[in-house]
Amino acid sequence: MIISERVKRLREQSLNAVEKLSAERALLMTQFYKSDEARELSIPVKRAKAFEYLLKNKKLYIGDGELIVGERGPAPKETPTYPEISLHSLRDLEILNTREKVSFVVDEEVRKIYETEIIPFWKGRSNRDRIMNLMTPEWLTAYDAGIFTEFQEQRAPGHTVLGYKMFRTGFLNLKEEIKESIRSLDFFRDRAASDKYEELKAMDIACDAIIMYANRYAGELEKLAGAETDPDRKAELGAMAEICRKVPANAPETMHEILQHYWFIHQGVITELNPWDSFNPGRLDQHLFPAFRKEMEAGTLKMEQMYDLLGCFWIKFNNHPSPPKMGVTASESSTYTDFCLINLGGVKTDGTDAVNEMTYILLDVIRAMRILQPGSMIQVSRKNPDRFIHKALDIIRTGFGQPSCFNTEAIIQELLRQGKSLEDARNGGASGCVETGAFGTEAYWLTGYFNLPKILELTLYDGFDIRTNKQAGLKTGHARNYNSFDELLDAFKAQIRFFADIKIRGNNVIEKTFANWLPVPFLSLLIEDCIKKGKDYNNGGARYNTSYIQGVGLGTVTDMLTSIRYNIYDRKKFTWDQLVNALEKDFTGDEKIRHELIYNTPKYGNDDDYADQHAVAVFEMYYDAVNGRPDPRGGVHRINMLPTTSHVYFGSVTGATPDGRKAYKPLSEGISPSQGVDRQGPTSVLKSASKIDHLRTGGTLLNQKFTPQFFEDEDSYTNLTALIRSYFALDGHHIQFNVVNAETLRDAQKHPELYRDLIVRVAGYSDYFNDLGEDLQNEIIQRTEQAGA
Amino acid sequence: MKGLIFSVKRYSIHDGPGIRVTFFMKGCPLSCWWCHNPEGISPEPENVVIDEIIGEHKFRKTESAGEYYTVDDILAILGKDRIFLDESKGGVTFSGGEPLHQAEFLVKALKACKAGGYHTAVDTSGYAPAGSLRRIIPFTDLFLFDLKHLDDTLHYKYTGVSNVIILENLQLLLGSGRDIMVRIPVIPGFNDDDSHLRDLRDFLLKNKSENLKKINLLPYHKTGSSKYKRFHIPYRMEGIRQPSRERMNELKTFFSETGITVKIGG
Repeated sequence: MIISERVKRLREQSLNAVEKLSAERALLMTQFYKSDEARELSIPVKRAKAFEYLLKNKKLYIGDGELIVGERGPAPKETPTYPEISLHSLRDLEILNTREKVSFVVDEEVRKIYETEIIPFWKGRSNRDRIMNLMTPEWLTAYDAGIFTEFQEQRAPGHTVLGYKMFRTGFLNLKEEIKESIRSLDFFRDRAASDKYEELKAMDIACDAIIMYANRYAGELEKLAGAETDPDRKAELGAMAEICRKVPANAPETMHEILQHYWFIHQGVITELNPWDSFNPGRLDQHLFPAFRKEMEAGTLKMEQMYDLLGCFWIKFNNHPSPPKMGVTASESSTYTDFCLINLGGVKTDGTDAVNEMTYILLDVIRAMRILQPGSMIQVSRKNPDRFIHKALDIIRTGFGQPSCFNTEAIIQELLRQGKSLEDARNGGASGCVETGAFGTEAYWLTGYFNLPKILELTLYDGFDIRTNKQAGLKTGHARNYNSFDELLDAFKAQIRFFADIKIRGNNVIEKTFANWLPVPFLSLLIEDCIKKGKDYNNGGARYNTSYIQGVGLGTVTDMLTSIRYNIYDRKKFTWDQLVNALEKDFTGDEKIRHELIYNTPKYGNDDDYADQHAVAVFEMYYDAVNGRPDPRGGVHRINMLPTTSHVYFGSVTGATPDGRKAYKPLSEGISPSQGVDRQGPTSVLKSASKIDHLRTGGTLLNQKFTPQFFEDEDSYTNLTALIRSYFALDGHHIQFNVVNAETLRDAQKHPELYRDLIVRVAGYSDYFNDLGEDLQNEIIQRTEQAGA
Repeated sequence: MKGLIFSVKRYSIHDGPGIRVTFFMKGCPLSCWWCHNPEGISPEPENVVIDEIIGEHKFRKTESAGEYYTVDDILAILGKDRIFLDESKGGVTFSGGEPLHQAEFLVKALKACKAGGYHTAVDTSGYAPAGSLRRIIPFTDLFLFDLKHLDDTLHYKYTGVSNVIILENLQLLLGSGRDIMVRIPVIPGFNDDDSHLRDLRDFLLKNKSENLKKINLLPYHKTGSSKYKRFHIPYRMEGIRQPSRERMNELKTFFSETGITVKIGG
């Protein structure tokens, strides 16, 4: 792809735009909630009317030269807030404005609006306040201790991806479906019929709202076209206006229509609420391919035009940082990235190889655009050609961190095990960091990270948290009283179960608050079978519903258990008192013990069963505590193993650990080994990582850092391809490559101004190195570098 | 019977095709000035002192360079990586040191690997009794054969041995029908002058055959110098610079004139 002047300019603009907080949405939402009309409506209809009010009154933005239109805020990177979900205090705004990383400019006008309009109205009324009031003391104690985090405290439930249907359907068609669904309501036997009626009415309003919004853009474009003096741009604006009159009301037919259609939908979802993982077009190569082929055959689209369209589309994602967070949530996920993940490759609905010409075109776009969002991944199926992987490696080698590699066969098996149909499973993929989902049919909510090493730490202290000075866990005894390793394991298992219970109870209460107070009629239009069931996405309307709790620190907790078994029980190198004493002092004066723990103790990541058996043991305990337990949406809880950046936060609340890790340092991330302990090369890491049963999760994350030397020639591509395919034959879910050398990174730390474009793979996503906190930067530098042979 | 091995490398990708496990066998009759595995020279286990660092504290540890492995140990290690070796059409490589220095063990190990279905490669200096070589031929799919210098006097000066046996053994292998890759270390000031390069090219051209699959040009690199200190071996390559990428590309073009595939690196 050769980037045109137009795309180059828009890209620069997007990269240079400053993240700024916009009060527009908060203000409109407040006005609507204060209105007389709002008081008279059922909750679903009220939310739909609020959505309509936003789209009717929000400022439109058409950038010079843009081909795809629409912004969530008044301009690129101007980011709205969602006071009905969580209310920023003036102090929060001050922090956002001044903090070094992931900051948002908050100007005096916004501050004033917050002080006089937003805070007075929403104080005590946001869903965050509601949630915190509903949580039990045990939940709050565990939350403060850093045992788990809570996803839905500052953002709405998300994790859903657009499926095939919406790329072939217009909202006028959906209105017909709604009509049909209302017609078939059974007011005689179905006690919920009236509720369904209100929900369906709300969905219908949401359809009209998004069509109205597109027409507003059409009007604005027509106005601009009328005033435009450049004949080329004039024609372009005219054509864009026509497209906005057609979609999303009607099904899109051309590439340009599909992209604009999707982008209206995207804006709808992220304006209605602030669902996690933004929103995502999913299997984009599949969605675009039929129109692409048709237009190419008809000669109605030139390659340069197509690349221009895709370039403009890509930039749209980059214009939308994730909504500003506060408190713990800001550190568990400290990034502007909003986790859009374009899926390429995999298999088609009928199970055949899905790699097509558009797959390669989009890989070209990813390579040429080189921007943070949207993220990208390749789904690697046994049926996909090696050429596809080689082309992805070509991008990975540049140190961009994208695309990451996923195992299609594992994803399908994971979904089938959860009861999805074969077709829905094949149409699925991964979104967010690594989360498996059935696209277009599933609401798979992430609910929070779960700090496994911290729970083991509590198990050593009779359930007492030495950092917050509180009894957070069960009284299972003190380390020195465990007579055998098995006794310790039993206690650990009981503690995991105890905290899983607290978390799940909390989840079930929290999920219900979204069903009751914050339905999402617009998002419900997009995910099957909400219309058919007359049920909201937030209330179990989707065909499949899943609630995930994400286990964190597998490498660290495995090394902790291994060290305890090896040094205390098997080799009897120290007593519990000696070890606990050293941990309490963070190894000050006990360097000899720490040396033994680090250098002379087996570690996870070296294909050594002595260590790896504990990864399996922890996995099974965690799985048993969570998997299959009901959620209020008719779905169940399941596990996955990914940290985003929470391993840094969780590390910061966890004291020194028996693997030799110093207090408050980051935990291991994903299912990767602890930083620097894998000494046997990548095949051993992959072997260790494949000992847990990936197919019983909804995703695992493995990060493998390589120096660029591993990508130097054709042979190395072939070998890396074999490495990936072997890991996937072992049922590994995901692997990502960080290609960079430590020297470059150290230099980047010293001279950030020279490395503004440096992107590294963090954990399931890429980020600008400069935007990472120093601890996270250090951790990435530290991760084992397999030196080129 | 056991073999003395000083290093095992998994995900080895420069010692033959695909992903391999390379066993570095201890003991070598040569003493090349540029050797980057000096710990492979002595045929006995050696003690090495290693400093392990914890913050500001140094912990001194004595480790043995060289451990004894049975054939079963070798098969067990290969078994762990089998899926990677199979998928990549890789296998096992015995390197060194000079693997033929432990010929008895090498024969047994190769035979067992072959029986286990692994592709086998031997990375050799070629300096070994022809009889030993003949014994491993049936169980070796690929020979990585070092060719350092064609002039016997210079060869003797820089490696400590004559090249007569080496060149004879190369002929033996060329006639054996086994795959061969000739590896030429490019050592500035030793074997990279124009006239020797021409001789090498002509030699390869003359010996070109179906089973001479590839010429690997291995640029001299300095990674070995710190090891020398550890093993108290004098380092004689002070001041020698690594050949530049441009120079290596030049040589690649030059040797490509033979019509044999040339690769920079393994």
